[in-house]
Amino acid sequence: MLRRTLASNWFYVVLMIALIILPHAIGWVSGDSPFGVRGRPVGQSIYWQGILIEVFVLAVLAMSYNLVFGFTGVISFGHALFFGIGGYILGVVLEYTDLTGEVGLLIGIGLTLIISAVLGLVIGMVTLRLRGVYFAMFTLAVAEMFYIFFSRLALTRAEDGFALTELPVWIDPTRSRLTFYYIALALLAATFLFIRRLIFSPTGAVLLAVRENEERARTIGFDTLRFKLLAITLAGMIASLAGLVQVILNKKVGPEVLNVSNTIDPLLMTIIGGAGTFTGPVIGAAGLHLGDRLLRDLVIEVGGASIDIGANWALILGIVFILVVLVFPYGIVGTFRRWRTKQAK
Amino acid sequence: MAASEAILEVRDIHTFIGQFHILEGVNVNLPRGSIGVLLGRNGAGKTTTLRTIMGITPPRSGEIRFEGQRLNGMRSFGVARLGIGYVPEHRAIFKGLTVRENLHIAERRSGDFARKADLIFDLFPDLKRLVHLPGGNLSGGQQQMLAIARALVPDNRLLLIDEPSEGLAPVIIEQLMHAIRRLSEQTTVLLVEQNFRMASQLADRYTIIDEGRSAVAGDMRDLVKDQALIQRYLGVA
Repeated sequence: MLRRTLASNWFYVVLMIALIILPHAIGWVSGDSPFGVRGRPVGQSIYWQGILIEVFVLAVLAMSYNLVFGFTGVISFGHALFFGIGGYILGVVLEYTDLTGEVGLLIGIGLTLIISAVLGLVIGMVTLRLRGVYFAMFTLAVAEMFYIFFSRLALTRAEDGFALTELPVWIDPTRSRLTFYYIALALLAATFLFIRRLIFSPTGAVLLAVRENEERARTIGFDTLRFKLLAITLAGMIASLAGLVQVILNKKVGPEVLNVSNTIDPLLMTIIGGAGTFTGPVIGAAGLHLGDRLLRDLVIEVGGASIDIGANWALILGIVFILVVLVFPYGIVGTFRRWRTKQAK
Repeated sequence: MAASEAILEVRDIHTFIGQFHILEGVNVNLPRGSIGVLLGRNGAGKTTTLRTIMGITPPRSGEIRFEGQRLNGMRSFGVARLGIGYVPEHRAIFKGLTVRENLHIAERRSGDFARKADLIFDLFPDLKRLVHLPGGNLSGGQQQMLAIARALVPDNRLLLIDEPSEGLAPVIIEQLMHAIRRLSEQTTVLLVEQNFRMASQLADRYTIIDEGRSAVAGDMRDLVKDQALIQRYLGVA
């Protein structure tokens, strides 16, 4: 059993081991310890851990978006709300209560999961009866409403937000970044396994059926609204955990976590990587974020003209996106898979 | 007369789609255990009648009863759970799911598929060797068989089948007719069928729908003899 599991998933196992070793490998090559230098978070390994944690966060966010968009066929423009709410809840708990350290963190995580689930249920129940683009517009409006509220409200410290100063040492990314790296990696792996398990379950089959033809699923006897509600709620909870990791990494919560870019980015990552595939969103997130990080400061000299990649990043991203959609109409993973099935026939 | 008790009664239903008045008074009466067929020209309202029974396009007035229970106002998943299987036109399977998943998903109680597997694979032997293939890889006839097979998984007491023969080769149609006849031993069937030859060989009861109204209904044996009636409403010899 174990051998068969390993044999059919060798790619993921190898990737996982590589990601576990990577901080140490970078540390070994660069000579900078993966634990930081003299207790301070500096050095090549620490720098790359930070970037990879961001990749993991975006990958989890994109996977959660894919659960709704790719597997259930519901287009939501309000995903940033779930991403942002996680960070804010932790911020409020640590700021306004005497709870600090592990207790504050655990209560923050618990409340985040509960509140994001309730939000997902309520928003879903109110809006899921709307179809297609109307649903998308409504979710966008709700998410923007929260963005505007939270950036004005005294409770959430308006534009300033909170600094998360009272985190336990073992998770504090400025003091134990490597531990935090592994926590983020564990969240990535857990999300991946959970979504795969869900989609291969009977419930997952119904989600796929809803995506393909909701009316057909309803005439078999499924209250499809419930299944869409389940997908939105689960995706919201996962997205809120991603947001939690993001704000702990930044040690700061501000209105930017609720910004609409946290909806658009996972949407693009999902489409580029392959909507409705398991690895697509992860590849999309890694590709876009690493591309952004690596190319940001690059200036290319072509003949006499120099092109500042960083300054034109949005333009380049736009062109990449158009090309990907033209060349890979089902996303990178989706198109590759179709090509492989065609070869096999 | 317990034997001919009506399992389905549709009384004077009027259905609107948007602002269009599609059904303007349709009546259908189907005795338990029979095969009924809705006949009529293209656009007469046959498919809409089935969709109205299923609650997909609910009627604005009139009454629908299944085993005496009113279906008006119920949503389609509720109608289905009462024991009505609906096989829409155009081979309504899930192309992204495998054959097995397509059948499994239709379970209303766990174990339904296991209980019905023998019957299903006996009726449609082709499906047995295709269980692991995605539904989209099947041929048109196989998809139609899968669509019907899916409606057999739960214990449905009424099957609504929309144009099963559409676009299929004569050999496949033969096979389907045989299957429908056999499954009608256990359940009542209401067909929509353009292929008059198939309809006349299968059905006991007919209802002709013309311009949104049920025009004539009766025993299939009488209709077959009445060339004038056939000519008038169906335009086939």
